[in-house]
Amino acid sequence: MRVALYVTCLVDLMRPAIGFAALRLIEACGCEVVVPPAQTCCGQPAWNAGNRPLAIELARKAIGELENYDAIVVPSGSCADQIRNVYPQLLADQPAWAERARRVAGNCRELTTFLHEMSRSTAEIPDFPGEFAGSATYHDSCKGLRALGVKEQPRELLARVRGLTLREMDECEACCGFGGAFSVRFADVSTRIVDDKCAAIARTGADAVIGGDLGCLLNIEGRLRRLGDQTTRVLHIAEVLAGGDGS
Amino acid sequence: MSGASQAMHFKARAGDKLADRILQGALKKAQPLFTAKRRKGMASLAADGLDFAAMRAAAQAIRQRVLDDLDVWLEIFEARAVAAGAEVLWARDGAEAARLIVELAQREGVRTVTKSKSMLSEEAGLNAALTAAGIRPVETDLGEYIVQLAQEPPSHIIAPAVHKTIAQVEALFAEAHGRPQLARTSADIPKMADEARQVLRRDFLAADMGISGANFLIAETGSAALVTNEGNGRMVTTLPRLHVVLTGIEKIVPTLEDFATLMRLLPRSATGQDISNYVSLLTGSRRDGDLDGPQKTVFVLVDNGRAGLLGGAFEPMLRCIRCGACMNHCPVYFALGGHAYGWVYPGPMGSVLTPLYTGLENALDLPHASTGCNQCGSVCPVGIPLPDLLHGLREAQNARGLRPPGERLTMRLWGWLARHPRSYRLLIRLAARYLHWLGDDDAAGRRIRIFGLAPAWTAGRDLPVGPGRSFFEQYAARKRD
Repeated sequence: MRVALYVTCLVDLMRPAIGFAALRLIEACGCEVVVPPAQTCCGQPAWNAGNRPLAIELARKAIGELENYDAIVVPSGSCADQIRNVYPQLLADQPAWAERARRVAGNCRELTTFLHEMSRSTAEIPDFPGEFAGSATYHDSCKGLRALGVKEQPRELLARVRGLTLREMDECEACCGFGGAFSVRFADVSTRIVDDKCAAIARTGADAVIGGDLGCLLNIEGRLRRLGDQTTRVLHIAEVLAGGDGS
Repeated sequence: MSGASQAMHFKARAGDKLADRILQGALKKAQPLFTAKRRKGMASLAADGLDFAAMRAAAQAIRQRVLDDLDVWLEIFEARAVAAGAEVLWARDGAEAARLIVELAQREGVRTVTKSKSMLSEEAGLNAALTAAGIRPVETDLGEYIVQLAQEPPSHIIAPAVHKTIAQVEALFAEAHGRPQLARTSADIPKMADEARQVLRRDFLAADMGISGANFLIAETGSAALVTNEGNGRMVTTLPRLHVVLTGIEKIVPTLEDFATLMRLLPRSATGQDISNYVSLLTGSRRDGDLDGPQKTVFVLVDNGRAGLLGGAFEPMLRCIRCGACMNHCPVYFALGGHAYGWVYPGPMGSVLTPLYTGLENALDLPHASTGCNQCGSVCPVGIPLPDLLHGLREAQNARGLRPPGERLTMRLWGWLARHPRSYRLLIRLAARYLHWLGDDDAAGRRIRIFGLAPAWTAGRDLPVGPGRSFFEQYAARKRD
């Protein structure tokens, strides 16, 4: 199986370790992983800003780069949602593109969904190498949860990580307040919202908060540290499952 | 309490609301109560063997069926309502609705008006119009009564005074009721409600006109359906000699059967109740031999922008049954409260309706005042895709050139880069180095405390940064090895 890894612009710039962890995890499923070299950004910022023409251009660009693989795997719920749910909608009325968009969308998986599907469909998948000594709580990011149905997949994967105890937080499905441009445009409102998330995390007493979207994680980690929490680790699930220092 | 919009000042107002500690305390207390109530409502739905998704599909279909032929349903409603002895008046906008009601009140020599909850009254600025004409409007819903005393608009469509603390209400009551202020706790709420009841009783008996909203208008019977919990609705609609039903033209449902279907979802979505304390079906006026009821019932059905949405991309918004679930599950609403939104309707449904009813250019922030989390859309009992509608409004802003030049320029530059991978790679390479250089290390990792390029981000948060080499830079190096 030939898999394209869509790294995402945020992981590329802010936390490359997540990209490498994802790469190792997909390889561990016995797949050949290719990182399409011309990938930049899926266009979600343009789409969220209401700039449809630019979102369409970037959708076409990404489709051209991603259509010749058996699967496209994305370590982010919101970027995967853009490719899976928004691309077909953006290109529905363009005959040359509609079918291509649908095909790419159909092959696109958020990382934990992909790993979960693989570990169920193939008997010989090894347990992932990650180990974690301690407790962790899981933040359901909005697009992953409500647009892609990512809920049990990360939990079942984490349940197989040696040493890790999952402690659910209150309102784990509540938004962390990131929202992309929202976190800058209405930074004060965003901060007020993430305060509730930080409080819910603190109440679990967990050693780490884990999530599947780097945007949420930067928001949560940034606020935790500003509030003086230097100890709660903030990790992408790929980093936990892949183990090592991630690089 | 006027229909004028302050929605352009959302951002500035948001800052004020975040700094208001009393308000923040009230909101923090209310949010978990609201979400717990709906959770309970959904549990009872399931206990009745009903599936939310299926019920929602049915409710959505009922509302959509009406919108597909709204003109026809309105004519049917009018004919049945008139046949039952009511009068039906039509208003193009809020101002016309207010004028019709003031004129009617003046013609009938009305001096005091009791009101049960109507958000359309807020759209119409009705209380101000009545007061200007020398007629005294008295809000009788407890929450509405409180905000009327405070001279504020409601901050929530079903819990108008949710932003008020007990101490604030006590201060308002003490002043309005001419008594010393007491120390109050939540245990005193029944006592305080009773105090309001005693005061309002005089007005119920004195009023010449009662004005209510309507949760639904039943086409098959020409009735107004009223869903309430306090009993004030019955006093308002049966005691005065005149009853005015003020509501929007989109509130039609075809049959009583359809009404029953919607009622399985409305109270459960709103307050978690299987059914509200009172459900009234008001048909016509007092008939010969009736012991009570108004001598005259007048429907004032208002367009105020609704008809313009029919058949367009925003038509789904007209399915709204005003349960409040969207705002009850909105992180932005509970960060700020309803007054931040600046017009009649707050929360996600307000962020959609305000630009549509008051003008896109008069509410530029609202379509962006959402994290896109879709907690609203997932609880909506009539399947309104609220984030998609907000998104459509953002597109409309772009199409009309309403976004600020700086934002447009940034988007163009970023868009160019995203389409040119080699330049993009180079820039990200430099940016990764720059961010790393800006950061400071400590035990918990490397991060930026004050970021000049996005100072808003670091006003309340650090910005965690990476190792200085982007993914693609590292990946290229590995492939070379």
